[in-house]
Amino acid sequence: MLYSIRAKLIAGFIGVSFVVGAFSLVVGTYLLDKAVGSEALMRVSLDLNSARELYRVRTTAIEVPLNVTTLGYGFIAALKERDIPDLIFRLGRMADYASLDFAGIVDSEGSPLCRSGPNAVPSRRDHSTNPITSFGLEKGASVSGTFVLTHEFLFEENPQLAERARIDIMPTPGTQPSTKRAETAGLALGAAVPVVDDGELLGVLYGGVLLNRDTNLVDTVKGTVFHNEEYKGRSVGRASIFLNDVRISTNVPSQDGGRAIGTRVAEEVREHVLEQKDRWTRRAPVMSDWYITAYEPIEDVRGRTVGILGVGVLDEKYEDMRWNTLSIFIFITLVGMVAAAAIGCFVAGRLVDPIRRLISASRQVTEGSLAPDIGPESGDEIGILQKAFKEMVGAVGRRRLESQNRLIMSEKQASVGRLAAGVAHEINNPLTGVLTYTHMLLRRKDLDEEVRADLQTIAEATERVRKIVKGLLDFSRQTAPHREKVDVNKLVSSTIALMENQALVKGVNVDFDAGDNLPPVNMDRNQFQSVLLNVLINGLDATEPGDSITVRTRNSDQVNEAGQEGVEISITDSGCGIPSEHLNKLFDPFFTTKEVGHGTGLGLSVSLGIVQRHGGSIRVRSKVGKGSTFTIWVPFEGKVI
Amino acid sequence: MNILVVDDERIVLESCARVLGDRFEVRLVKSADEAIEAMSREAFSIILLDIKMPGKDGITLMRHAKNRWPDIPVIIMSGYVTNETMKEVAETGAAIFLAKPFTPDELAEAVDQVLMKEEGHG
Repeated sequence: MLYSIRAKLIAGFIGVSFVVGAFSLVVGTYLLDKAVGSEALMRVSLDLNSARELYRVRTTAIEVPLNVTTLGYGFIAALKERDIPDLIFRLGRMADYASLDFAGIVDSEGSPLCRSGPNAVPSRRDHSTNPITSFGLEKGASVSGTFVLTHEFLFEENPQLAERARIDIMPTPGTQPSTKRAETAGLALGAAVPVVDDGELLGVLYGGVLLNRDTNLVDTVKGTVFHNEEYKGRSVGRASIFLNDVRISTNVPSQDGGRAIGTRVAEEVREHVLEQKDRWTRRAPVMSDWYITAYEPIEDVRGRTVGILGVGVLDEKYEDMRWNTLSIFIFITLVGMVAAAAIGCFVAGRLVDPIRRLISASRQVTEGSLAPDIGPESGDEIGILQKAFKEMVGAVGRRRLESQNRLIMSEKQASVGRLAAGVAHEINNPLTGVLTYTHMLLRRKDLDEEVRADLQTIAEATERVRKIVKGLLDFSRQTAPHREKVDVNKLVSSTIALMENQALVKGVNVDFDAGDNLPPVNMDRNQFQSVLLNVLINGLDATEPGDSITVRTRNSDQVNEAGQEGVEISITDSGCGIPSEHLNKLFDPFFTTKEVGHGTGLGLSVSLGIVQRHGGSIRVRSKVGKGSTFTIWVPFEGKVI
Repeated sequence: MNILVVDDERIVLESCARVLGDRFEVRLVKSADEAIEAMSREAFSIILLDIKMPGKDGITLMRHAKNRWPDIPVIIMSGYVTNETMKEVAETGAAIFLAKPFTPDELAEAVDQVLMKEEGHG
């Protein structure tokens, strides 16, 4: 049972700390997830904005040199004169300068005149439409933006470009199998600027960069937007450009360590971005890692959705951040539980040890010890219990002593009583003879004085013997009380009246302090009066002239063994007091301090017998030279003994 | 007038005879049986009776006597009386109780008291 209290306490402590820890863990994780998640999504969304800006800047970076070139006087003159070699030279210089993948000039009808690269002079077979210049001619102004270039166009421009644009489609987890094996079209940033001289359209200058397998743009995004930040040896930021759903330019690594060109965007993203033409921001798997990703559609110059621009931030960084915090939470919870267990152990020890001591103490009491070791007293309720236990043991001890004393006393009384009865009976008959003959002799008139005096002495001595024998008989007579309802105050005052004269003669004042509201007591009036008288006379004998005797009655808060309530009558004298060595023997039969002939030593003994037969008790407190107090306690409802 | 004294102790019998002998005719017996015998032969004015006696005790004797001679007053003499014997004595209707040891005056007084009561009745 003890262990179970300890276990319960510890379990309780651990339970509470576990519940609190688990709750804060759940709440903390939820809040953290929300905060980190929304923070990451916000960041990646902003990153996508930056990437789009860079994409736009790159487009502008094509248009500007074209514009500058068309303004050159030499260029216009060369075009006017169709000086092809000069134009080719100028185109090559411009393409180099502006890092263009392709550049060229068409005439006002849209037919190619010349271009940079290996096939500088178009062959006659070249008949594919130039989407850039045709759009420029359509608009009649400078245009720039995203174009999808066909394989044929690319091949005519530069077979190497066509080769570069061709991308084998890789099987990608999370996508529908593709119907195409390879993507041959190219996604390009391009611009076309009409060359006008004196209001006459001389031709259109065009140029652009192919995004297929381009590293420039995505790495610029990585460098500019993500600052090439690395986490655990991997780049945190990634950027990809898709032609339709095929990744054509990226720095997402493939499984073999290269770039994951040819892989496809997840089906979910494709549907959302390409078909619903909407931004998509979410945590998603990209190749083998999880990323916080953002995608938005790329529109060509005609407003058609032709591809996707996507950025992603490595989720592992945030995941680790989450895990670190979570670990700290778990660690704190565990530490809390261990601490709770320790505190529980300590508290249980503080709680259980005194209880265990009390249990062993009560065993000691059971085995008879009245001074059991209950250990140091604690300052809490257990301390109160310990105190109560101590008091209880003390009370048990006192009760035991009292009942032992009472037993000894009643045994003494019984044996003395039997002895006294026997002796009295035997003595009475011869004493009758002695009394009769002495008195008969004394009646004679012819006695001389000496004989008469002797006879008188015999008569007096015999009278004394008679008194002693009578006292013995009174003592031995175990008369059962004849009970009736008695008003204690009346009984006391009538008893005081009996001895008041005697006290007056001696010069001792007797006071009676009668208690209020005393219920009637069920007692033997005569027997009790003799008890009171006996104690009063003893008190009177102990006093000197000028002393006083005070009798008090009151309702007592004491109860007897049977749990009965009762009345207390205390008789206090200011007399000589009783030496402590006499206190124990006070109620012994034949114990007397009075001179020979002045007391039989049976008075208190008889009185105690009477009080005890009423279920009561007599207590004595005394101090030599100060006086004594006899306190008689009797129950309201006497018990029959 | 004659008085029957019943007691197993010689000294008590003699004491009673000594005190009452001058005024009454005193008959002394030492046991209950002797007392019954004496009473059936003679009529007594008073019986003085001890309670504790070997053989038949005083109470038994008194019951017997009260049965046969209900008018004879009885004085009970005893040195040691318990409540129970007192009750028995009262039930059997003894006239007076005289505690041992007694002085000649106490004995004479007890006898006189009984006689006065008898006279009153008579």
